[in-house]
Amino acid sequence: MHFDWPYFWHQLLEPDGAFIQGLWLTILISVGGQVIGLVIGLPMALARRSASVFLMWPARFYIFLMRGTPLLVQIVFIYTGLAAAGILRFHDFIAGPFTISGNVQAGILALGLNEGAYMAEIFRAGIDAVDRGQTEAAKSLGMVPGQILRFVVLPQALRIILLPIGNQFNIMLKNSTLVSVIGVSEMLLVTETINSATFRTFELYSVLALYFLVLTSIWGGVMRYVEWRMDRGAARGDTAVIGTLQGEHI
Amino acid sequence: MADVLVQAERVEKFFGPNKILDGVSFTVTRGETVVLIGSSGSGKTTLLRCINHLEKIEAGRITVNGFLIGYRDRRGVLIEDRERNIARQRRDVGMVFQRFNLFANLSALDNIILAPMRVRGENRAVATERAMRLLARVGLAEKARNFPASLSGGQQQRVAIARALAMEPAVMLFDEPTSALDPEMVGEVLAVMRGLAQDGMTMMIVTHEMGFARQVADRIIVMDQGRIVEDGPPERLFNAPTHPKTRTLLAVRH
Repeated sequence: MHFDWPYFWHQLLEPDGAFIQGLWLTILISVGGQVIGLVIGLPMALARRSASVFLMWPARFYIFLMRGTPLLVQIVFIYTGLAAAGILRFHDFIAGPFTISGNVQAGILALGLNEGAYMAEIFRAGIDAVDRGQTEAAKSLGMVPGQILRFVVLPQALRIILLPIGNQFNIMLKNSTLVSVIGVSEMLLVTETINSATFRTFELYSVLALYFLVLTSIWGGVMRYVEWRMDRGAARGDTAVIGTLQGEHI
Repeated sequence: MADVLVQAERVEKFFGPNKILDGVSFTVTRGETVVLIGSSGSGKTTLLRCINHLEKIEAGRITVNGFLIGYRDRRGVLIEDRERNIARQRRDVGMVFQRFNLFANLSALDNIILAPMRVRGENRAVATERAMRLLARVGLAEKARNFPASLSGGQQQRVAIARALAMEPAVMLFDEPTSALDPEMVGEVLAVMRGLAQDGMTMMIVTHEMGFARQVADRIIVMDQGRIVEDGPPERLFNAPTHPKTRTLLAVRH
């Protein structure tokens, strides 16, 4: 076996500019997808729990569709499929010095739509996990459903689902590689490109794997810090840590 | 007739095929303390929960302060009201739960000021001032900043009473307020309730504390299998119960 150590160290510590760009793109896509997922997830969870069939069934169908088909297929479908059918074509978005190309937008959207379904189920589980008595007490004080959700149920649900959401973002970081299939130059595609010119496959993919390990480890550290703060709060009997994290006050 | 505050007429309630309330009628006048007793499953808690429409009713009507609760009368047919209107009706009806149900994400003080601020639109200073007065009244002024998890059951229940009072309700409903408490904490909660009764608060109390019922109640309502089987002042029920259920429930010790 031959392992080119100097090349490995070079790529790891002084990677190509293209690789660094790929790293930023990986982060952008993951964060973007997660934000969309969060934004979709909450209303979708509420619709899923709604007594109205006009809200409940569409939400159910959306979750069924997104969780029942491969993410890779969804990405290709949204970028290539919609364009081929003439339904939606993603154009480059230019804002001053920044350009977000069409395939990046499609990739973020696809990851976000997929994530939204998983977020919906997590939000739903979190809301269901809050004791019914909390809602009844709020009702008995004359609060309307929106107020009950905002001031009583959601702060408690968020505390319950914070760690599952964190896990989802870990998965998102890794799933972001799938958008390479529609030509988004995130870390995987950049690595493939460099590889096709150098054929130092083992070294290059080792570097790629290590970069993902660094990303997921940093995120893991963030989650441990949040968990530690919550535990400390719980020890004081203060379950409102989420409230202070959000800067939310009644 | 005296000043009727709560009136129930032939209320019926089903859980599936089971009739939980079977034509229940009663009135509560302003300032009265009414204690509901009955063995478990007799419908007393359900009856209480119907008064602020935490439970729907299938027949009959309930009014508080003359206003129909939970329903609109459309030419004699009752249609369930909109959530927003029901919420408005509930402002007049305070409730204290067996399991306290303090908001776990808020401090004692914030538990009390949340509804006055968000439902009645009071500013924080006014709401806080009243909340602190109420906390002092239930003997917990120094616990304002504590979260529910760091309070004992008795303290939580006293905060819950203060929280309900902060909305200045016309009537207070107590659903077995001491049943989830350790015995040594029952007294502190009953003392607060006794004080409320003396101050003329209109109260309906579901409880198994017969000694308390005898002392504090203006009237005792005895329920059995979804019906009111006896309704009268405690002296009469304790001394001359007419229904066998009353006799066993009060376990009259002479």
